[in-house]
Amino acid sequence: MSRVTITVNSMPQTRDVEDRTLLVQFIREHLGLTGTHVGCDTTQCGACTIHLDGQAVKSCTVLAVAADGSEVTTIEGLADGGTLHPVQQAFHEHHGLQCGYCTPGMIMASVDMIRRHDGMLDEHTVRHELEGNLCRCTGYHNIVKAVLDAAEKHRAAHAVAPE
Amino acid sequence: MKSPLQTIAPDVIMHPLKQPKPESAELSPEMKLVREALFKHVGKPIPRKEDGRLITGKGRFSDDFSLPGQTYAAIVRSPYPHARILGIDKSEALASEGVLLVLTGEDILADDIKPIPHNPVPSTNFDMKLRAKDGSHAFTGPHYLLPSDKARHVGEAVAIVVAETAAQAADGAEKVVIDWEELPYVTDTAKAAAPGAPTIWDEVPDNVFIDTTFGDKEGTDAAFARADHVVKAEFHIQRVTGVTMEPRSSLGSYDPETGRYTLYAGSGGAVRQKNELSKVLGIEPKDLRVLSFDVGGNFGTRNRVYVEFGLVLWASAKIGRPVKYTATRSESFLTDYQGRDLVTKVELAIRKDGKFLAMRADNLSNVGGRAVSLSPLSKGSGLITGSYDIPYATLRARAVFSNTMCTQAYRSSGRPEVTYAIERLVELAADQLGFDKLELRRMNLIPPSAMPYTNAVGSVYDSGEYEKNMDRALELSGWATFDARKAEAATRGKLLGRGFANYVESSIGTPKERAEIEIKDDGNIEVVIGTQPSGQGHETSFAQVVADMIQVPVEKVWIVLGDTDIVSVGGGSHSGRSMRHAGTVMAMASAGLLAEGRKRAAELLGSTADRIDFEGGVFKLRNSNRTIDIFELGRRTRESHGPLRVVKDNEMHTPVFPNGAAVCEVEIDRDTGHVQIVRYTTIDDVGRCINPLIVHGQTHGGIAQGVGQAMWELCAIDQNSGQPLAGSFMDYGLPRSDTMPSFKCEIAEVISPTNPLGIKAGGEGGTTPALATVVNAVVDALSEFGVKDIQMPVTPANVWRAMNSGRKAS
Repeated sequence: MSRVTITVNSMPQTRDVEDRTLLVQFIREHLGLTGTHVGCDTTQCGACTIHLDGQAVKSCTVLAVAADGSEVTTIEGLADGGTLHPVQQAFHEHHGLQCGYCTPGMIMASVDMIRRHDGMLDEHTVRHELEGNLCRCTGYHNIVKAVLDAAEKHRAAHAVAPE
Repeated sequence: MKSPLQTIAPDVIMHPLKQPKPESAELSPEMKLVREALFKHVGKPIPRKEDGRLITGKGRFSDDFSLPGQTYAAIVRSPYPHARILGIDKSEALASEGVLLVLTGEDILADDIKPIPHNPVPSTNFDMKLRAKDGSHAFTGPHYLLPSDKARHVGEAVAIVVAETAAQAADGAEKVVIDWEELPYVTDTAKAAAPGAPTIWDEVPDNVFIDTTFGDKEGTDAAFARADHVVKAEFHIQRVTGVTMEPRSSLGSYDPETGRYTLYAGSGGAVRQKNELSKVLGIEPKDLRVLSFDVGGNFGTRNRVYVEFGLVLWASAKIGRPVKYTATRSESFLTDYQGRDLVTKVELAIRKDGKFLAMRADNLSNVGGRAVSLSPLSKGSGLITGSYDIPYATLRARAVFSNTMCTQAYRSSGRPEVTYAIERLVELAADQLGFDKLELRRMNLIPPSAMPYTNAVGSVYDSGEYEKNMDRALELSGWATFDARKAEAATRGKLLGRGFANYVESSIGTPKERAEIEIKDDGNIEVVIGTQPSGQGHETSFAQVVADMIQVPVEKVWIVLGDTDIVSVGGGSHSGRSMRHAGTVMAMASAGLLAEGRKRAAELLGSTADRIDFEGGVFKLRNSNRTIDIFELGRRTRESHGPLRVVKDNEMHTPVFPNGAAVCEVEIDRDTGHVQIVRYTTIDDVGRCINPLIVHGQTHGGIAQGVGQAMWELCAIDQNSGQPLAGSFMDYGLPRSDTMPSFKCEIAEVISPTNPLGIKAGGEGGTTPALATVVNAVVDALSEFGVKDIQMPVTPANVWRAMNSGRKAS
């Protein structure tokens, strides 16, 4: 057993965990934040994507002890109080989700993608970079639309002209 | 022509669409309500009400639930495709740290735990009647939660280990020692039905437990005898699996004080789970509560009961603590109910001018180790002639056991298979006989004037404008400008190909549905319904229907589902039934609610119900300024009359036939055989469309699942060991964002005459023609290599082999 402290959605959380505990288990089972999902055992599906120190990572492939002292944002911590994050809003408006299981991971990956590219995204790039997040319901069509729309709004908000 | 239904069922059912309409038939209250509805909400692309919780991490999926004192289960699975269980030694597992309980097939028999009553033979009036060879009801293989005799496929659950933690349960499962006697096995569909194949069940020595012939054999034979041409083909629509992103999960608990069981488990319908699992446990249905809230995908795989659902309930009673089981992805690949796996041999008799005269089909469905559902074989049987007017047809439908996981209905159960057969056969016919492939289709399409049309195996297509669909799909896809694109692709060393397919499918489904609608004091309307969405947006589209009927804003309507203590009756969600069945019964309940409201308003306003008008959610005494709002009426009459609430049951058997067309363009790399889909276009006649945003979403997802099967997906099994080779996302090809194109989709609304709202279905049309459309495109792209056919999935290896052998690759 090890004692770890991870700041999750701005709240420091200290727990004693088995060394083999995965970060996603820490989030779901120790903290009860069940918005982060598990869809596979092989780091393929991306349903467990969260932000670890500001970067999108698959939390099924990080040990909780390895994240000791880190900052984590999960889907529950993305909205600003009652105001949805623009990416959440875009997924809603463009029907970018059906069953909703892959959605938290999709949104967390997309937020990071838009940030990294400063909103300068085209369809090809979005499709390429979301390749590690699997969805079985939408055929990706509306997810791509949602991300492109959120990226455009990000550019507008940050006054970046498209290339 | 003799009706095929007549030869099977002496008490032939008169199809409602074929019955003469009584002259004096008065409009039913719900039909009147629908006719008069303003449709403020129906037909609008309203974003979904359910999104709020799902995009903020507040969804309620099965594994999200936990109960105090909860324990965890791990399952011991068969490593062999076919092996007798000579003995199981639990002692080492029981001694393992944290292990509380180990149960096996012997314990099942000792506790008198019953098999799951899957009732696999579809039995509504309009389902094709599948029987054993001698015409008797077929032996379908009992499905005990754990077998005591032998394992019939790799991955079959043979013991459950319950422990304090999930890790301890997994450790304990490794310590269960089983004495196996390996037996000869067969996994391949055709081989399982061949003479001398290993026997899966002693009751059916040749493994073929269904063998039924439909259609007019004499008429078919005569038509073939006078035909100028006969074109034949054989296809294997390979085994795939649903791959719901949420692995199946269950949490069972038993309360010794009340004697009641509770199960949290996402499914395709909690009511079916309750009814069947209570029979397994030998308890009254009222003593089992099943909760199924957010469900992370279904596609058919979750419609039937899984053994683990029964196991956690049984185990929870034995140890007096809740038991949770969540499948790993590998377990999902091994033991989620799988899909397709049909071998079909088809023949088409053609006159020299191209007119189709008759068709023969021999369909063999691989159900796996036992029959869980024959829906795929049955659904397909009714649609072998596709969108074409083929006067005579004969179909031999067989089902066979094999040493594989059980198959079940999977997205558009049975229809993609037969659509593949007819649409590929038409292409082959055009190629062999020198017809233009579109013109050959066009001259044989069923015209709107022939609707309702009875096909050669007795299915009655309700409505549709097939040629119009075809024209529109071709136009949208830029069919006419293909040559320029092909020439451009060639400059890049790519082979461009285009494929087209028509489709017609059927939506039947469980005929019963119940709706309860109540006007709540807080100004909301609550609708209780027994369907089970898994992403289809029922909370929104159903609310749109009720909002229009009761003339209130859609935000005020709340749909309640998924808790069998609240939802007492419900057919669940499958076969594209939900919108049609729920929409109809909700319209009926709304009519009943307004009738009750009129009565109460009349009393309050001192008049009679026939003098009360209703508009905009307000009851009004005619020729006066006296009004009362429906919510106010509910509040004011609650004490005297009880809640303003109506419960309505409806039973609706008449199937509907969604239809449409799809066009696909693929680009193939000359050197590697890599296939990329570059354009994909669809037109889908879904009947009345309640929410186009949602219906388009359904089409997109449906396309991806059909395209996935054509391009990458395969539950591969190693023929030398019987071992499944697809056990993770690394070895099963799921569509990914970078391998799919954006789609061009359009909805056609030809209102169905079979139900008040005119709904057909919108969930499966994307999938149904996709397999044929993609393969037609790939074969077209490879035409210069002399390729006439190719086995799915069209992986680079298969394509390369086809290019280099100039004949069908296998």
